[in-house]
Amino acid sequence: MLEMDYSPLILSLKVAAISTFFVFVVGVMIAYYVAKRDFFGKSILEALFLLPLVLPPTVVGFGLLVLFGKNGWIGSWLLEWFDFQIVFTWIGAVIASIVVSFPLMYQSAAAAFESLDERLSNAARTMGASEWRVFYTIVFPLAWPGLLAGLVLSFARGLGEFGATLMLAGYIPGKTDTIPMAIYFAVESGQMEKATFWVMIIITFGFSLILWVNWWSKRNIRRFTRT
Amino acid sequence: MLHVNIHKQLAHYEMAIQFKMGAEILVLVGPSGSGKTTILNSIAGLVHPDSGLIVSNTHTFFDTDQKPLPARERQIGYLFQDYALFPHMTVEKNIWYGVKKKNRKDSQKMIVELLQVLGIEHLLHKYPHQVSGGEKQRVGLARALAARPSVLLLDEPLSALDRETRKQCQDELLRLHEMWKIPFIIVTHDLDEAERLGDRIIYLEQGQITDEQRKRQLISTY
Amino acid sequence: MKRFLFSVLVIILSALFVGCSATDKKPNEEVELLISAAASLTDALEELKGPFEEKHEGIRLTYNFGSSGKLATNIENGAPSDVFLSASTKDMNSMEEKGLIDNESRKVFASNALVLIAPKDSAIEIASFEDIDLAAIAHLAVGEPASVPVGRYTKETLETLDLWEPLQEKLVLGSDVRQVLTYVEMGNADAGVVYSSDAFMSDDVNVLAESNAAWHAPIVYPGAVVKDSKHQQAAQQFLDYVTSDAGMETLRKFGFK
Repeated sequence: MLEMDYSPLILSLKVAAISTFFVFVVGVMIAYYVAKRDFFGKSILEALFLLPLVLPPTVVGFGLLVLFGKNGWIGSWLLEWFDFQIVFTWIGAVIASIVVSFPLMYQSAAAAFESLDERLSNAARTMGASEWRVFYTIVFPLAWPGLLAGLVLSFARGLGEFGATLMLAGYIPGKTDTIPMAIYFAVESGQMEKATFWVMIIITFGFSLILWVNWWSKRNIRRFTRT
Repeated sequence: MLHVNIHKQLAHYEMAIQFKMGAEILVLVGPSGSGKTTILNSIAGLVHPDSGLIVSNTHTFFDTDQKPLPARERQIGYLFQDYALFPHMTVEKNIWYGVKKKNRKDSQKMIVELLQVLGIEHLLHKYPHQVSGGEKQRVGLARALAARPSVLLLDEPLSALDRETRKQCQDELLRLHEMWKIPFIIVTHDLDEAERLGDRIIYLEQGQITDEQRKRQLISTY
Repeated sequence: MKRFLFSVLVIILSALFVGCSATDKKPNEEVELLISAAASLTDALEELKGPFEEKHEGIRLTYNFGSSGKLATNIENGAPSDVFLSASTKDMNSMEEKGLIDNESRKVFASNALVLIAPKDSAIEIASFEDIDLAAIAHLAVGEPASVPVGRYTKETLETLDLWEPLQEKLVLGSDVRQVLTYVEMGNADAGVVYSSDAFMSDDVNVLAESNAAWHAPIVYPGAVVKDSKHQQAAQQFLDYVTSDAGMETLRKFGFK
């Protein structure tokens, strides 16, 4: 067995978990708000949300550096007021991961909310339910299969994020070395055994996640789709 | 008891409706697109008229230039077309959804009675997709009445049922009305059904009342 | 019988035809040379391209830039390539050991030095590598030492000066020399170590100090013709051009030595 440093695994899980949490909360909120409404510029806004999905990772990474770099718009402000630096920290990896996985969460959530029968929410309203109660007793549980798919996709995307992360978080062994970075630099330096090890880990993770979601949704689909 | 005056610009015509009713069964009849459901939705607070007045007993639901009362504060029972039961909740959870926490105890007896009258006690732990069409209709009715509404709105309540079940349900509706003594507004496009159920029938076309009929043998309560 | 003869004729003819096209290459047919070159050579080689193609009619150059380690791995795994221009002797040695290059053709065509750079508007004052002030630097951008040659030379240098260990926490490892440069140009790293040729090309960095050649293995750029190349002759012509006076002058223009 290889002498292995497992810190990339811990870091990757930490980064993906935290970014998925934010992406889920914010993505669900924004998607619920936008899906229910029609307003001027809605499709432009939605295109903007989905943009990170089609941009090359290095472009996203460069954009993030412009925003969060030491001399960036937000970065310089954070540094000045809170003495807080994002670039070259694991927080940078979280931010990169949030930006690239947000479109997946938003897309899934918006589709889930749009397919809901508005009459169910209305029925709840006539029975005295507040908007908040309508959301957490009716909308959220019924949209859950779609939301879960978005959640898992976001997590998997966060786990695999490389390009933008490398630019914003840099590669600092022990601090910002996620699994994809470990793989990249292992391949680059010809450490094929190490690379294979991490590739197996990440494939196992991604595969079992998708397998589990498919199994789960097949098992529960009846309860959620039939009336 | 219920005063309705609605003016609203719709896609193809302007709706202008006015009627008053007591604790009777009012049936709205008309071709599809004549504005029947819009009237129910306006009373329930799911859509709002451009102008007019909707008052139930002492509560003003809608008055031109005032902020409309939100749907959740109107105490309306609404049986939707196809019932709109919550698919992820058991029949029991569906029925209790609209009962306020503080009213749980007081409502217990009433709901047990309601379940008996409708004959659905044995369905409590089933999910909506596990019960038949007629049973769904009864669950929807129980759910609408469980929150002790001051008005009951029914949108095509029987249209999804076969002939036999439909007859049975009509009788049930009449029986429930005897018990509850609140205004029932029923929307249908079936004339026979309207005549069987209604104390009063209002005929609608293009958002206007074209005719009104009253059953002679019944005495209006207002 | 007639039919049979006809079939035999067809077979013979097609065999001849295939044979012809495989062996007798027309001399004026255009050759596309694939050059795998270290990323640090990008600008110099792009400038060489025009004059070379003008001088050698019928040869077209296509560059594939990347880190030397990655290019070596690619060639080893069968990626098509005619000439390998490496920024590291180590990668070229391993290619030679594996018999992937034409040993005869191998030669050094350029050399380089390490420089310490800082963002243009930086207030940091460091006169030489020995004076690197640990307290003044939050992040020092260097190449990843295991895979990027500039990183290996940097590591050797800093080890010689006993600075490698103390700097561990502050090192940001770039995946290639351009990335190290970007980190410094945008002011995210306080300083960085790159080749003098890279610093030479950037308007957004200041060169603070140059390394002493004794601190690290010589930074030389070996080039060679790839053994599997189908255009051995043209590949050799290109390598000769790079080491000619005209080639050397262009390289010098971009900060190489």
